Amino acid sequence: MSSKVRLVVPEAPSPQTVAATETRAVAIGAGIRLGILDNSKGNADHLLKFIVEGVKAVLPVASVVSLRKDSVSLPAPADILDRLVAESDYVITAMAD
Amino acid sequence: MSALAQLLQAPGASIDADGDFDAVNALVMEKGWGDGLPVVPPTEARVAAMLEYCDRPWDQPVAKIPPRWGEATPLRLAANAVMAGCEPRYFPLYLLAIEAMCEEPLNLYGVQATTHLCAPLVIVNGPVARELNVNAGHNAFGPGHKANASIGRAIRLALLNIGGAIPALGDMSTFGSPAKYSYLVAENEAESPWEPLHVERGLPREASAVTVIGAECLHNVNDHESLDGEGVLTTIAGTMATAGSNDIYYKAQPLVIMGPEHARAVAAHFSKAEAKRFLQQHATLPVGRLSRDNIERRVKVTFKDRLSNPKPDDVLYAVQRAEDLLIAVIGGAGKHSAFVPTFGATLPVTRALKTADGRLAQSVEDFRRR
Repeated sequence: MSSKVRLVVPEAPSPQTVAATETRAVAIGAGIRLGILDNSKGNADHLLKFIVEGVKAVLPVASVVSLRKDSVSLPAPADILDRLVAESDYVITAMAD
Repeated sequence: MSALAQLLQAPGASIDADGDFDAVNALVMEKGWGDGLPVVPPTEARVAAMLEYCDRPWDQPVAKIPPRWGEATPLRLAANAVMAGCEPRYFPLYLLAIEAMCEEPLNLYGVQATTHLCAPLVIVNGPVARELNVNAGHNAFGPGHKANASIGRAIRLALLNIGGAIPALGDMSTFGSPAKYSYLVAENEAESPWEPLHVERGLPREASAVTVIGAECLHNVNDHESLDGEGVLTTIAGTMATAGSNDIYYKAQPLVIMGPEHARAVAAHFSKAEAKRFLQQHATLPVGRLSRDNIERRVKVTFKDRLSNPKPDDVLYAVQRAEDLLIAVIGGAGKHSAFVPTFGATLPVTRALKTADGRLAQSVEDFRRR
Protein backbone atom coordinates (compact mmCIF):
# COMPACT_ATOMS: atom_id res chain seq x y z
CA MET A 1 0.00 0.00 0.00
CA SER A 2 1.52 3.32 -1.04
CA SER A 3 1.69 6.35 1.20
CA LYS A 4 0.12 9.71 0.63
CA VAL A 5 2.17 12.59 -0.78
CA ARG A 6 1.55 16.30 -1.06
CA LEU A 7 1.80 17.50 -4.66
CA VAL A 8 2.33 21.11 -5.65
CA VAL A 9 -0.35 22.17 -8.10
CA PRO A 10 1.29 23.24 -11.38
CA GLU A 11 -1.79 24.97 -12.69
CA ALA A 12 -2.83 28.62 -12.42
CA PRO A 13 -6.50 29.47 -12.08
CA SER A 14 -8.08 31.62 -14.71
CA PRO A 15 -8.51 35.22 -13.54
CA GLN A 16 -11.22 35.59 -16.19
CA THR A 17 -13.42 33.19 -14.26
CA VAL A 18 -14.12 35.96 -11.77
CA ALA A 19 -14.89 38.53 -14.45
CA ALA A 20 -17.23 36.12 -16.19
CA THR A 21 -19.49 35.95 -13.15
CA GLU A 22 -20.25 39.66 -13.30
CA THR A 23 -23.57 40.55 -14.87
CA ARG A 24 -24.99 43.70 -16.32
CA ALA A 25 -28.71 44.13 -16.69
CA VAL A 26 -29.72 45.15 -20.19
CA ALA A 27 -33.11 46.62 -20.99
CA ILE A 28 -34.15 45.34 -24.40
CA GLY A 29 -37.27 47.46 -24.68
CA ALA A 30 -35.81 50.28 -26.76
CA GLY A 31 -33.48 47.92 -28.59
CA ILE A 32 -30.02 46.65 -27.77
CA ARG A 33 -26.86 48.50 -28.58
CA LEU A 34 -24.81 46.10 -30.66
CA GLY A 35 -21.02 46.27 -30.85
CA ILE A 36 -19.06 44.63 -33.65
CA LEU A 37 -15.33 43.92 -33.43
CA ASP A 38 -13.91 42.91 -36.81
CA ASN A 39 -10.62 41.11 -36.15
CA SER A 40 -9.55 41.76 -39.78
CA LYS A 41 -9.39 38.09 -40.69
CA GLY A 42 -10.34 37.26 -44.23
CA ASN A 43 -14.14 37.13 -44.53
CA ALA A 44 -14.67 38.47 -41.00
CA ASP A 45 -16.46 41.50 -42.43
CA HIS A 46 -18.84 39.32 -44.44
CA LEU A 47 -19.50 36.97 -41.54
CA LEU A 48 -20.25 39.85 -39.18
CA LYS A 49 -22.56 41.51 -41.68
CA PHE A 50 -24.63 38.35 -41.89
CA ILE A 51 -24.70 37.99 -38.12
CA VAL A 52 -25.88 41.58 -37.63
CA GLU A 53 -28.64 41.00 -40.15
CA GLY A 54 -29.63 37.84 -38.30
CA VAL A 55 -29.71 39.59 -34.93
CA LYS A 56 -31.82 42.42 -36.34
CA ALA A 57 -34.30 39.88 -37.65
CA VAL A 58 -35.02 38.51 -34.18
CA LEU A 59 -34.25 41.36 -31.76
CA PRO A 60 -34.82 45.11 -31.67
CA VAL A 61 -31.48 46.81 -32.33
CA ALA A 62 -31.14 50.46 -31.36
CA SER A 63 -27.61 50.99 -32.68
CA VAL A 64 -24.64 49.21 -34.19
CA VAL A 65 -21.06 50.35 -33.60
CA SER A 66 -18.66 48.48 -35.86
CA LEU A 67 -14.91 48.68 -35.23
CA ARG A 68 -11.97 46.90 -36.84
CA LYS A 69 -8.57 46.16 -35.34
CA ASP A 70 -5.52 46.50 -37.54
CA SER A 71 -3.81 43.23 -36.76
CA VAL A 72 -5.31 39.78 -36.86
CA SER A 73 -2.81 38.53 -34.35
CA LEU A 74 -2.64 41.28 -31.76
CA PRO A 75 -5.24 42.09 -29.09
CA ALA A 76 -7.62 44.95 -29.74
CA PRO A 77 -6.14 48.22 -28.48
CA ALA A 78 -7.58 49.90 -25.41
CA ASP A 79 -9.35 52.69 -27.31
CA ILE A 80 -11.37 50.18 -29.32
CA LEU A 81 -12.27 48.16 -26.23
CA ASP A 82 -13.20 51.32 -24.29
CA ARG A 83 -15.51 52.46 -27.06
CA LEU A 84 -17.18 49.06 -27.30
CA VAL A 85 -17.74 49.02 -23.55
CA ALA A 86 -19.19 52.53 -23.62
CA GLU A 87 -21.43 52.16 -26.65
CA SER A 88 -22.52 48.52 -26.62
CA ASP A 89 -24.69 46.20 -24.62
CA TYR A 90 -23.46 43.14 -26.50
CA VAL A 91 -20.32 42.69 -28.60
CA ILE A 92 -19.88 40.20 -31.40
CA THR A 93 -16.42 39.45 -32.74
CA ALA A 94 -15.28 37.21 -35.56
CA MET A 95 -13.01 34.21 -35.81
CA ALA A 96 -13.38 33.67 -39.54
CA ASP A 97 -10.70 31.01 -40.05
CA MET B 1 6.93 24.98 9.41
CA SER B 2 9.04 25.66 6.32
CA ALA B 3 8.43 28.65 4.06
CA LEU B 4 7.25 26.29 1.33
CA ALA B 5 4.89 24.42 3.66
CA GLN B 6 3.32 27.75 4.60
CA LEU B 7 2.79 28.67 0.93
CA LEU B 8 1.20 25.30 0.27
CA GLN B 9 -1.49 26.03 2.82
CA ALA B 10 -3.02 28.54 0.42
CA PRO B 11 -6.24 27.28 -1.20
CA GLY B 12 -5.50 25.36 -4.38
CA ALA B 13 -1.72 25.41 -3.94
CA SER B 14 -1.34 21.72 -3.20
CA ILE B 15 -3.20 18.47 -3.32
CA ASP B 16 -2.77 15.30 -1.29
CA ALA B 17 -2.59 12.18 -3.40
CA ASP B 18 -1.66 8.55 -3.45
CA GLY B 19 2.13 8.52 -3.68
CA ASP B 20 2.36 5.66 -6.14
CA PHE B 21 4.03 6.78 -9.40
CA ASP B 22 1.27 5.42 -11.59
CA ALA B 23 -1.42 6.89 -9.37
CA VAL B 24 0.18 10.34 -9.51
CA ASN B 25 0.40 10.15 -13.28
CA ALA B 26 -3.20 9.04 -13.54
CA LEU B 27 -4.14 12.06 -11.44
CA VAL B 28 -2.05 14.36 -13.67
CA MET B 29 -3.83 13.03 -16.75
CA GLU B 30 -7.22 13.36 -15.08
CA LYS B 31 -6.49 16.97 -14.14
CA GLY B 32 -5.21 17.74 -17.64
CA TRP B 33 -1.85 18.92 -16.30
CA GLY B 34 0.48 17.07 -18.62
CA ASP B 35 1.76 16.97 -22.18
CA GLY B 36 0.74 13.33 -22.63
CA LEU B 37 4.00 11.86 -21.39
CA PRO B 38 4.56 10.56 -17.85
CA VAL B 39 5.78 13.21 -15.42
CA VAL B 40 7.95 13.26 -12.34
CA PRO B 41 5.57 13.73 -9.39
CA PRO B 42 5.85 17.36 -8.17
CA THR B 43 6.15 16.47 -4.52
CA GLU B 44 6.76 19.07 -1.86
CA ALA B 45 10.33 17.81 -1.38
CA ARG B 46 11.21 17.94 -5.09
CA VAL B 47 9.71 21.41 -5.48
CA ALA B 48 11.61 22.58 -2.41
CA ALA B 49 14.86 21.40 -3.99
CA MET B 50 14.01 23.22 -7.23
CA LEU B 51 13.29 26.45 -5.37
CA GLU B 52 16.72 26.35 -3.76
CA TYR B 53 17.85 27.89 -7.05
CA CYS B 54 15.34 30.74 -6.98
CA ASP B 55 16.22 34.08 -5.40
CA ARG B 56 12.79 35.64 -6.04
CA PRO B 57 9.76 35.52 -3.75
CA TRP B 58 8.25 32.12 -4.45
CA ASP B 59 4.63 33.28 -4.46
CA GLN B 60 4.98 36.47 -6.49
CA PRO B 61 4.32 36.20 -10.24
CA VAL B 62 7.29 36.81 -12.53
CA ALA B 63 4.92 36.96 -15.51
CA LYS B 64 1.39 36.29 -16.62
CA ILE B 65 1.10 33.67 -19.33
CA PRO B 66 -1.58 34.05 -22.01
CA PRO B 67 -4.12 33.14 -23.18
CA ARG B 68 -5.37 32.38 -19.66
CA TRP B 69 -3.11 35.08 -18.20
CA GLY B 70 -2.28 32.70 -15.39
CA GLU B 71 0.18 33.99 -12.84
CA ALA B 72 3.56 32.33 -13.25
CA THR B 73 4.88 32.21 -9.70
CA PRO B 74 8.19 30.49 -9.00
CA LEU B 75 6.18 27.97 -6.97
CA ARG B 76 4.05 26.92 -9.93
CA LEU B 77 6.99 27.08 -12.31
CA ALA B 78 8.98 24.83 -9.98
CA ALA B 79 6.19 22.27 -9.99
CA ASN B 80 6.22 22.25 -13.79
CA ALA B 81 10.02 22.03 -13.85
CA VAL B 82 9.92 19.00 -11.55
CA MET B 83 7.27 17.36 -13.72
CA ALA B 84 9.44 17.89 -16.82
CA GLY B 85 12.48 16.26 -15.24
CA CYS B 86 14.60 19.38 -14.72
CA GLU B 87 17.53 19.43 -12.36
CA PRO B 88 17.18 22.19 -9.74
CA ARG B 89 20.18 24.07 -11.17
CA TYR B 90 18.26 24.53 -14.42
CA PHE B 91 15.64 26.66 -12.69
CA PRO B 92 17.21 30.15 -13.18
CA LEU B 93 17.49 29.62 -16.93
CA TYR B 94 13.94 28.26 -17.09
CA LEU B 95 12.54 31.22 -15.21
CA LEU B 96 14.46 33.62 -17.48
CA ALA B 97 13.01 31.99 -20.59
CA ILE B 98 9.47 32.31 -19.22
CA GLU B 99 10.01 35.99 -18.37
CA ALA B 100 11.44 36.71 -21.82
CA MET B 101 8.65 35.04 -23.77
CA CYS B 102 6.05 36.99 -21.81
CA GLU B 103 7.46 40.34 -22.90
CA GLU B 104 5.04 42.22 -25.13
CA PRO B 105 7.03 42.22 -28.42
CA LEU B 106 6.89 38.42 -28.64
CA ASN B 107 3.07 38.51 -28.66
CA LEU B 108 2.82 35.25 -26.75
CA TYR B 109 -0.95 35.53 -26.78
CA GLY B 110 -0.91 35.22 -30.55
CA VAL B 111 1.84 32.60 -30.58
CA GLN B 112 -0.09 30.44 -28.11
CA ALA B 113 -3.59 30.81 -29.50
CA THR B 114 -3.12 30.97 -33.27
CA THR B 115 -4.09 28.33 -35.80
CA HIS B 116 -0.45 28.61 -37.02
CA LEU B 117 1.95 25.94 -35.74
CA CYS B 118 4.51 28.23 -34.09
CA ALA B 119 6.08 27.73 -30.67
CA PRO B 120 8.55 29.77 -28.64
CA LEU B 121 12.08 28.78 -29.66
CA VAL B 122 14.68 29.53 -26.96
CA ILE B 123 18.33 30.05 -27.95
CA VAL B 124 20.73 30.17 -25.01
CA ASN B 125 24.01 32.07 -25.08
CA GLY B 126 26.83 32.68 -22.64
CA PRO B 127 28.62 30.80 -19.89
CA VAL B 128 25.49 29.33 -18.33
CA ALA B 129 24.77 27.46 -21.56
CA ARG B 130 28.07 25.66 -21.12
CA GLU B 131 27.66 25.27 -17.35
CA LEU B 132 24.34 23.47 -17.85
CA ASN B 133 25.56 21.54 -20.90
CA VAL B 134 22.85 22.91 -23.17
CA ASN B 135 23.55 21.20 -26.47
CA ALA B 136 24.68 23.52 -29.28
CA GLY B 137 26.38 20.92 -31.45
CA HIS B 138 25.42 17.69 -33.18
CA ASN B 139 21.68 17.03 -33.07
CA ALA B 140 21.14 20.23 -31.06
CA PHE B 141 17.41 20.21 -31.79
CA GLY B 142 17.13 16.47 -31.23
CA PRO B 143 17.13 14.12 -28.26
CA GLY B 144 19.90 13.15 -25.91
CA HIS B 145 20.66 16.19 -23.77
CA LYS B 146 18.89 16.57 -20.48
CA ALA B 147 19.00 20.38 -20.31
CA ASN B 148 17.56 20.88 -23.80
CA ALA B 149 14.91 18.23 -23.32
CA SER B 150 13.76 19.01 -19.81
CA ILE B 151 13.93 22.83 -19.78
CA GLY B 152 12.16 22.91 -23.12
CA ARG B 153 9.53 20.53 -21.80
CA ALA B 154 9.12 22.55 -18.61
CA ILE B 155 8.43 25.62 -20.74
CA ARG B 156 5.71 23.77 -22.61
CA LEU B 157 4.17 22.50 -19.37
CA ALA B 158 4.03 26.07 -18.05
CA LEU B 159 2.44 27.25 -21.30
CA LEU B 160 -0.17 24.52 -20.87
CA ASN B 161 -0.77 24.52 -17.13
CA ILE B 162 -0.31 28.20 -16.32
CA GLY B 163 -1.01 29.78 -19.70
CA GLY B 164 -3.92 27.54 -20.58
CA ALA B 165 -2.66 26.66 -24.07
CA ILE B 166 -4.82 23.57 -24.01
CA PRO B 167 -5.16 22.04 -27.48
CA ALA B 168 -8.42 23.05 -29.15
CA LEU B 169 -9.32 25.30 -26.19
CA GLY B 170 -6.50 27.82 -25.70
CA ASP B 171 -4.18 26.57 -28.44
CA MET B 172 -6.07 26.50 -31.72
CA SER B 173 -3.16 25.31 -33.86
CA THR B 174 -4.36 23.40 -36.90
CA PHE B 175 -1.46 20.95 -36.74
CA GLY B 176 0.49 21.62 -33.58
CA SER B 177 4.17 20.82 -33.90
CA PRO B 178 6.90 18.60 -32.43
CA ALA B 179 8.40 21.92 -31.30
CA LYS B 180 5.48 22.17 -28.85
CA TYR B 181 7.05 19.43 -26.75
CA SER B 182 10.47 21.04 -26.34
CA TYR B 183 12.26 23.73 -28.35
CA LEU B 184 15.46 24.94 -26.69
CA VAL B 185 19.06 24.96 -27.88
CA ALA B 186 22.28 26.87 -27.32
CA GLU B 187 24.28 28.73 -29.93
CA ASN B 188 27.52 27.01 -30.86
CA GLU B 189 29.67 29.98 -29.92
CA ALA B 190 32.89 27.95 -30.01
CA GLU B 191 32.40 27.10 -33.68
CA SER B 192 30.99 30.45 -34.78
CA PRO B 193 33.14 32.83 -36.81
CA TRP B 194 31.00 35.76 -35.70
CA GLU B 195 30.03 37.40 -32.46
CA PRO B 196 27.38 35.51 -30.49
CA LEU B 197 23.71 36.27 -30.96
CA HIS B 198 23.27 37.89 -27.55
CA VAL B 199 26.23 40.22 -28.15
CA GLU B 200 24.87 41.23 -31.53
CA ARG B 201 21.62 42.03 -29.74
CA GLY B 202 23.30 44.39 -27.31
CA LEU B 203 24.37 42.36 -24.30
CA PRO B 204 27.92 41.97 -22.92
CA ARG B 205 29.79 38.89 -24.06
CA GLU B 206 30.11 37.68 -20.46
CA ALA B 207 26.34 37.74 -20.02
CA SER B 208 24.25 34.61 -20.17
CA ALA B 209 21.06 35.18 -22.08
CA VAL B 210 18.11 33.75 -23.89
CA THR B 211 16.66 34.87 -27.19
CA VAL B 212 13.08 33.76 -27.70
CA ILE B 213 11.48 33.60 -31.15
CA GLY B 214 7.86 32.77 -32.06
CA ALA B 215 8.98 30.20 -34.57
CA GLU B 216 8.05 27.38 -36.86
CA CYS B 217 10.13 24.21 -36.89
CA LEU B 218 13.42 24.51 -38.72
CA HIS B 219 13.60 23.66 -42.41
CA ASN B 220 16.84 22.13 -43.63
CA VAL B 221 19.10 23.76 -46.24
CA ASN B 222 21.30 21.13 -47.85
CA ASP B 223 24.26 22.52 -49.77
CA HIS B 224 27.15 20.11 -50.21
CA GLU B 225 28.33 21.53 -53.50
CA SER B 226 28.90 25.27 -53.16
CA LEU B 227 32.56 26.07 -52.83
CA ASP B 228 32.23 29.60 -51.48
CA GLY B 229 30.08 31.70 -49.21
CA GLU B 230 28.05 33.30 -51.97
CA GLY B 231 26.99 29.87 -53.13
CA VAL B 232 25.89 28.85 -49.64
CA LEU B 233 23.99 32.10 -49.18
CA THR B 234 22.30 31.67 -52.56
CA THR B 235 21.02 28.25 -51.51
CA ILE B 236 19.81 29.56 -48.15
CA ALA B 237 18.06 32.49 -49.83
CA GLY B 238 16.38 30.10 -52.23
CA THR B 239 14.97 28.18 -49.27
CA MET B 240 13.66 31.19 -47.36
CA ALA B 241 10.96 32.61 -49.60
CA THR B 242 7.87 30.44 -49.92
CA ALA B 243 4.27 31.25 -50.79
CA GLY B 244 2.76 29.92 -47.56
CA SER B 245 5.04 31.79 -45.17
CA ASN B 246 3.62 34.31 -42.70
CA ASP B 247 6.85 36.28 -42.85
CA ILE B 248 6.32 37.57 -46.37
CA TYR B 249 3.36 39.63 -45.12
CA TYR B 250 4.81 40.96 -41.84
CA LYS B 251 7.76 43.00 -40.60
CA ALA B 252 8.98 39.74 -39.18
CA GLN B 253 12.39 38.70 -37.90
CA PRO B 254 12.99 35.11 -39.04
CA LEU B 255 16.08 33.09 -38.18
CA VAL B 256 18.80 31.60 -40.35
CA ILE B 257 20.73 28.87 -38.57
CA MET B 258 24.08 28.18 -40.13
CA GLY B 259 25.88 24.97 -39.45
CA PRO B 260 29.50 25.67 -38.50
CA GLU B 261 30.86 24.51 -41.87
CA HIS B 262 28.54 26.75 -43.83
CA ALA B 263 29.21 29.62 -41.42
CA ARG B 264 32.96 29.35 -41.97
CA ALA B 265 32.52 29.31 -45.74
CA VAL B 266 30.32 32.40 -45.60
CA ALA B 267 32.49 34.24 -43.08
CA ALA B 268 35.52 33.90 -45.37
CA HIS B 269 34.02 36.62 -47.55
CA PHE B 270 31.06 38.11 -45.66
CA SER B 271 30.60 39.85 -42.36
CA LYS B 272 27.39 38.87 -40.62
CA ALA B 273 25.79 42.17 -41.66
CA GLU B 274 26.86 41.58 -45.29
CA ALA B 275 25.45 38.07 -45.20
CA LYS B 276 22.14 39.47 -43.96
CA ARG B 277 22.05 42.02 -46.77
CA PHE B 278 22.72 39.32 -49.35
CA LEU B 279 20.00 37.10 -47.96
CA GLN B 280 17.45 39.93 -47.71
CA GLN B 281 18.07 40.92 -51.32
CA HIS B 282 18.02 37.39 -52.73
CA ALA B 283 15.32 35.69 -50.64
CA THR B 284 12.49 36.83 -52.87
CA LEU B 285 9.29 35.37 -54.16
CA PRO B 286 7.72 36.48 -57.45
CA VAL B 287 4.15 37.65 -56.92
CA GLY B 288 3.17 35.29 -59.72
CA ARG B 289 3.84 32.34 -57.38
CA LEU B 290 0.83 33.36 -55.29
CA SER B 291 -2.77 32.55 -56.02
CA ARG B 292 -4.97 35.19 -57.63
CA ASP B 293 -7.03 35.54 -54.46
CA ASN B 294 -3.98 35.96 -52.27
CA ILE B 295 -2.73 38.69 -54.56
CA GLU B 296 -6.08 40.47 -54.48
CA ARG B 297 -6.85 40.06 -50.79
CA ARG B 298 -3.46 40.11 -49.10
CA VAL B 299 -0.70 41.45 -51.33
CA LYS B 300 -2.64 44.46 -52.57
CA VAL B 301 -3.87 45.23 -49.04
CA THR B 302 -0.63 44.63 -47.14
CA PHE B 303 1.65 46.30 -49.67
CA LYS B 304 -0.79 48.88 -51.04
CA ASP B 305 1.95 51.50 -51.45
CA ARG B 306 4.36 49.29 -53.42
CA LEU B 307 2.18 46.61 -55.00
CA SER B 308 -1.24 48.13 -55.60
CA ASN B 309 -1.21 46.70 -59.12
CA PRO B 310 1.46 44.00 -59.03
CA LYS B 311 2.98 42.25 -62.02
CA PRO B 312 3.88 38.54 -61.81
CA ASP B 313 7.61 39.35 -61.69
CA ASP B 314 7.30 41.85 -58.86
CA VAL B 315 8.80 40.37 -55.72
CA LEU B 316 7.90 39.79 -52.10
CA TYR B 317 10.69 39.48 -49.56
CA ALA B 318 11.18 36.73 -46.98
CA VAL B 319 12.42 39.44 -44.63
CA GLN B 320 11.61 43.10 -45.19
CA ARG B 321 14.87 44.63 -43.92
CA ALA B 322 18.34 43.08 -43.71
CA GLU B 323 18.76 44.13 -40.09
CA ASP B 324 15.62 42.21 -39.16
CA LEU B 325 17.14 38.86 -40.06
CA LEU B 326 18.63 36.82 -37.23
CA ILE B 327 21.63 34.56 -37.83
CA ALA B 328 22.85 32.03 -35.29
CA VAL B 329 25.46 29.29 -35.62
CA ILE B 330 24.20 25.99 -34.28
CA GLY B 331 24.89 22.33 -34.96
CA GLY B 332 27.74 19.96 -35.66
CA ALA B 333 29.69 18.81 -38.68
CA GLY B 334 27.96 18.65 -42.03
CA LYS B 335 27.19 20.98 -44.89
CA HIS B 336 23.75 21.99 -43.72
CA SER B 337 22.02 25.14 -42.54
CA ALA B 338 18.39 25.71 -41.65
CA PHE B 339 15.73 28.36 -41.98
CA VAL B 340 13.26 29.07 -39.20
CA PRO B 341 10.21 31.08 -40.33
CA THR B 342 8.17 32.83 -37.66
CA PHE B 343 4.55 33.47 -36.78
CA GLY B 344 5.00 36.89 -38.42
CA ALA B 345 3.19 38.99 -35.81
CA THR B 346 5.97 38.45 -33.30
CA LEU B 347 9.36 39.93 -32.56
CA PRO B 348 12.27 38.16 -30.87
CA VAL B 349 13.13 39.04 -27.29
CA THR B 350 16.62 38.78 -25.79
CA ARG B 351 17.04 38.92 -22.04
CA ALA B 352 20.08 38.55 -19.81
CA LEU B 353 20.28 36.27 -16.80
CA LYS B 354 20.39 38.49 -13.71
CA THR B 355 20.07 37.92 -10.01
CA ALA B 356 17.23 39.53 -8.08
CA ASP B 357 19.43 42.54 -7.28
CA GLY B 358 20.10 43.17 -10.98
CA ARG B 359 23.63 41.80 -11.34
CA LEU B 360 24.61 39.78 -14.40
CA ALA B 361 24.80 36.19 -13.20
CA GLN B 362 28.14 34.44 -13.65
CA SER B 363 26.75 31.04 -12.76
CA VAL B 364 23.47 29.44 -11.75
CA GLU B 365 25.07 29.04 -8.32
CA ASP B 366 24.54 32.81 -7.94
CA PHE B 367 20.85 32.03 -7.45
CA ARG B 368 21.31 29.38 -4.81
CA ARG B 369 19.86 30.19 -1.41
CA ARG B 370 22.54 30.09 1.28
